[in-house]
Amino acid sequence: MTLEIKELTGGYGQVSVLKKETFTVENGQVVGLIGLNGAGKSTTIKHIIGLLTPRGGQILIDGMSLHDNVEAYRKKIAYVPEMPILYPELTLREHIDMTIMAYGLDHDATWNNASELLKTFRLDNKLDWFPQNFSKGMKQKVMIVCAFMTDARLFIIDEPFTGLDPLAVNDLLNIVEEKKQAGCSVLMSTHILATVQNHADKFVLLNHGQVRADGTLDQLKDKFDMKDANLDDIYIKMSNEDL
Amino acid sequence: MSELWKNRLRRHQLDQFKYLRLIFNDNFVLAFIVLIGALGFWYSNLLGTIKNELVIGKPIVILFLLLITQVGKVATLLEDPDSTFLLVKEREFYQYFKSARNYSIMLPVVAIVIVNFLLSPFAFTAAGMSIFDIVVIAVGLVFFKLTFLNLEMFNIYGKNHISGMSSKLIFNIILLISLVVSVYLFSSLTLIVGIVAFGYTESQNKKICNAGQLQWQQAIADENQRMFRVKRFYNLFTDVPGVNSKIKRRKWLDFLFNGIKPVQKNTYLYLFARGFVRNNEYIGLFLRLTIIQALMLALIDNFYISLIVEMLFIYLVGFQLKPYFKDVMLNMMQKLYPVSSKDKIGDFTKLSAFVLCIQWVVSAIALIYKFGLSMNGLIIIAAGLAVLVFVSYFYMPKQLKKYIDGVY
Repeated sequence: MTLEIKELTGGYGQVSVLKKETFTVENGQVVGLIGLNGAGKSTTIKHIIGLLTPRGGQILIDGMSLHDNVEAYRKKIAYVPEMPILYPELTLREHIDMTIMAYGLDHDATWNNASELLKTFRLDNKLDWFPQNFSKGMKQKVMIVCAFMTDARLFIIDEPFTGLDPLAVNDLLNIVEEKKQAGCSVLMSTHILATVQNHADKFVLLNHGQVRADGTLDQLKDKFDMKDANLDDIYIKMSNEDL
Repeated sequence: MSELWKNRLRRHQLDQFKYLRLIFNDNFVLAFIVLIGALGFWYSNLLGTIKNELVIGKPIVILFLLLITQVGKVATLLEDPDSTFLLVKEREFYQYFKSARNYSIMLPVVAIVIVNFLLSPFAFTAAGMSIFDIVVIAVGLVFFKLTFLNLEMFNIYGKNHISGMSSKLIFNIILLISLVVSVYLFSSLTLIVGIVAFGYTESQNKKICNAGQLQWQQAIADENQRMFRVKRFYNLFTDVPGVNSKIKRRKWLDFLFNGIKPVQKNTYLYLFARGFVRNNEYIGLFLRLTIIQALMLALIDNFYISLIVEMLFIYLVGFQLKPYFKDVMLNMMQKLYPVSSKDKIGDFTKLSAFVLCIQWVVSAIALIYKFGLSMNGLIIIAAGLAVLVFVSYFYMPKQLKKYIDGVY
């Protein structure tokens, strides 16, 4: 699975948040999307999943755009939003059932996956709870379960590490690793640089809606001419360039 | 602080006017006029049948007067962020709440006057009361209402008990006793006790509030609850943003979903059916309107009024279900599902047709009870069916499509 973003321009209403953004996520790659608040991380993600329509440029998943085939495009993506969004009227069990129906998945096989994920995140005894009874972190776990039990090929995770307990962060990273081994791609936006530094293959540094730099940590070190730097240092250097 | 109150009040009133305007613009006001007309018709018929004083006349008057005094709460207009941002101003909030109380007396006074006015013909004939009785009791009730509003102020400061008993309950018992005495023996008693009760609570107001501690969480929760009720009322007529409602599991109704096969086409039916049954807002609306309709049809003996009630209420329930669809469509995750909007609309139409069918059957039973299997009764039932078909298969799909096209 490859995700290609070519000269993407877009945003909300008349304001262009993104200006000719270009980067790719290759097969079996975990990519960290990094930038200050307001740099355009969430906007990029909303364009990829098709909640916003680009004003210019192209977004292709395996060479196919949303416009070519809406349903096939959407089946390839699973998304975990920054703020959990659940149906207040459905129990946890029913959320899983509904997701299975919506994506036309095999009921039993998917439930097998889901049960494992639920156990990992210690939700297996809460199947009959309503979202209103869940804490924020638990809701986020529900979103993660619903996303990772599907057979999507591209996983998009918006700021996954805030709100999760350290154990859950670790579990999530293991699941991401598993998916990567299976040839899926993962795009995640985050501010927790220390975590993402060890677990992503490649980083895309966004600044003012443009890709300031992208590549592996070593490539970034070269670009910023900082030999012994970690991701934090590079990030701060990039942020200071504006001043 | 008084500046804050004035600002909030202005904003609140603007909001209310906005909603009232929407209500009076809507074709829905028609429903209300018919409803009031039908009730008035029934009431005047009822009055016509009463010639002498009734044994239950006085208790009914007492019951109504007791109930109307419960109407209305202090509109504090507190907002969620207050408990974080305005904590430092806690001391000065007393004045704010006092302004809130003074403002909040208006609506209950209007309610008391209207109910007393409407009740008076009944009270004259069935309960043998005089104009003087009614007026003097009404004034007494206003003082009692002021007392209750004072109690609510104490409640904000956590002082809602008098020596272990709920102060609201105590004053309600006093009110009940005063009303019984006023209606049966000496009509001025309610006024006298009311003045004393108000005088006492008013003179102690500052002392009691200062002795307590402002219960932020509770006061804000109460105000949210109050606003929710107001908005839910408006929501009967027009779309109100931010009316989020209570969810109940209702496991015993799960059998209703057995008929829904778990295939992709039914994804939304799966959701809509559960949401409708579990979300108090929608099931409540359906039950309220269906029951009111059935009662009216079972009571009214007039062909044309029954015809209008039957058709209008089925249309109303269909119309009121529409916001539920919009609600679900606002959920961002569902936009990502690989399900076509045609299926979404089809599934919602199935739900609405099913719900309206139940309503139609209930109303038909009420009609057969009143009209028997006469020509008139059957015509009304057929008209109801026609509205059902129109709403489910023409009106609803068209409206939903318009909405979806507008969003995407």
